[in-house]
Amino acid sequence: MSKLKYFDCNCSIGRLAHPALYDNINVKGLKEEMATAGVEEALVFHNMARDSAPSLGNAKLIEELKDAEELHPAWVVLPHHTGEIPAPAQLLKDMEQAGVKAVRMYPTKDYHSFSLADWCSGELLSALAEARVPLLLDIEIVWWETIQTLLEKYPTLPIIATNVSYRHHRFIYPLFERYPQLHVETSRFFAASAFEDIVNRFGPGPIMFGTHMPFLTGTPAVSMLTYADISREAKEAISGGTLRSLLKEALS
Amino acid sequence: MSRYFDRIHNGQPIDDIEIIDFHAHLGPYFNMHIPADSAEDMIRMMDSCGIDRVIVSPTPGIISDIEYGNDIMLASIKKHRGRIYGACMVNGHYPELSVDELNRCFETEADVKIVKLHPILAECKMDDQRMKGIYEFTADRKLFMIVHTWLDSDPYGNVDLFARVAKDYPDINWLMGHSGGPYGTFRAVEIAKELPNVFLDLTMSMCPARQIEFFIEEVGADRIIFGTDNPFIDPRPQIGRLCLADITQEDRIKIMGGNVKRYIDF
Repeated sequence: MSKLKYFDCNCSIGRLAHPALYDNINVKGLKEEMATAGVEEALVFHNMARDSAPSLGNAKLIEELKDAEELHPAWVVLPHHTGEIPAPAQLLKDMEQAGVKAVRMYPTKDYHSFSLADWCSGELLSALAEARVPLLLDIEIVWWETIQTLLEKYPTLPIIATNVSYRHHRFIYPLFERYPQLHVETSRFFAASAFEDIVNRFGPGPIMFGTHMPFLTGTPAVSMLTYADISREAKEAISGGTLRSLLKEALS
Repeated sequence: MSRYFDRIHNGQPIDDIEIIDFHAHLGPYFNMHIPADSAEDMIRMMDSCGIDRVIVSPTPGIISDIEYGNDIMLASIKKHRGRIYGACMVNGHYPELSVDELNRCFETEADVKIVKLHPILAECKMDDQRMKGIYEFTADRKLFMIVHTWLDSDPYGNVDLFARVAKDYPDINWLMGHSGGPYGTFRAVEIAKELPNVFLDLTMSMCPARQIEFFIEEVGADRIIFGTDNPFIDPRPQIGRLCLADITQEDRIKIMGGNVKRYIDF
């Protein structure tokens, strides 16, 4: 059986104020961790875009990824009303020009201090949904009730929930029943036989391979998938097939 | 590249190392759905990746009733002799019952191998005076005691509290459960360097890159022990983590079962 071709949806670069162990949150460190785990491609954002400012981190991301064709940029965005980010139409043009086909948002007062509600983010979310740009949301920051509201209002907006805990099955099963555009990332999604259970109930679409490299090692997420008792087709979808399809549709 | 790269990527079990899962549970849990939580489920997952033996502390015993949990543990040992082994659960709020349970489990079942303490779920601090009889039983028999620990957000079993108690009972082999969590690595290593009776646990859902390599470099492979948290956590991710880590085969064999076998007969 040939090796699966992995496309990791949850990687980052950019020095952290609080690293786990090493000063390795950069392109070199990410490539090393990808090689160890056997991961070929990754969707990457810059931690500075989250921790400092989107304008700084997004520009730095494009610069730092310019010689790494296996690393694909994801920008961190926020509503345009303050002028820090261009209005949605211009933002989408800028993304297309920079080769950016996925975005992240960090609302709530402890992060970028804005709301995902219509009065604040409606124009941006509508534009992203129309262009089918995948939106990655960290479940530690945006809780399931808010994600359900977005799923209901924007059925063409693919949402990838990251850092989803192994304890979240009771939240996500009812969402999987209703919203095929919801995907959960796998870096911490390790409850016993979780993949078998979800694939049997909902198919492979809801599960999206992600590792949080190079902060975490990507090796656990790899063997969670390779040992899962599911079909080869399901493994191909989870390892990267679904993400590749979403990115192909985005901005097309 | 690891010698196991192809085997892991092909989903084939690891069959050339004796693998002992030293940190596992069993059964359902109140605040999460576990898709596969039975003893049979656990053994199926172990077989798929090559884990030979597992030591369990069933979930009802760590969160509600130690006696009921130990009953499940003893029954699972009998049903799956040679695959499932036991960790006797104790709780400082029930000092007399805990010592009774230690006597019952260790006197009636040879495959009960270690003692399990979960301070934060019991909400009983590790240095609570009521723990004295439990520690004395464990020290008298020079057993392993596995303790759930976290860096500094756990008032009942943070790593510094763990270290103070471990220092008071040098005859106990202390396994620092989760090694203080993903941000506890540096402090965990400091404690292990200071106290030769402390072992580091690899069980965690968030696994920092190169943590195993760091542990080996700082403490040595002899005091690192493999565990999975099955069925809270599927055991198969930890097999990939260990088998793809940039470590020697000699160290891998020690961590995945060799160290435990120096102290415990199976």
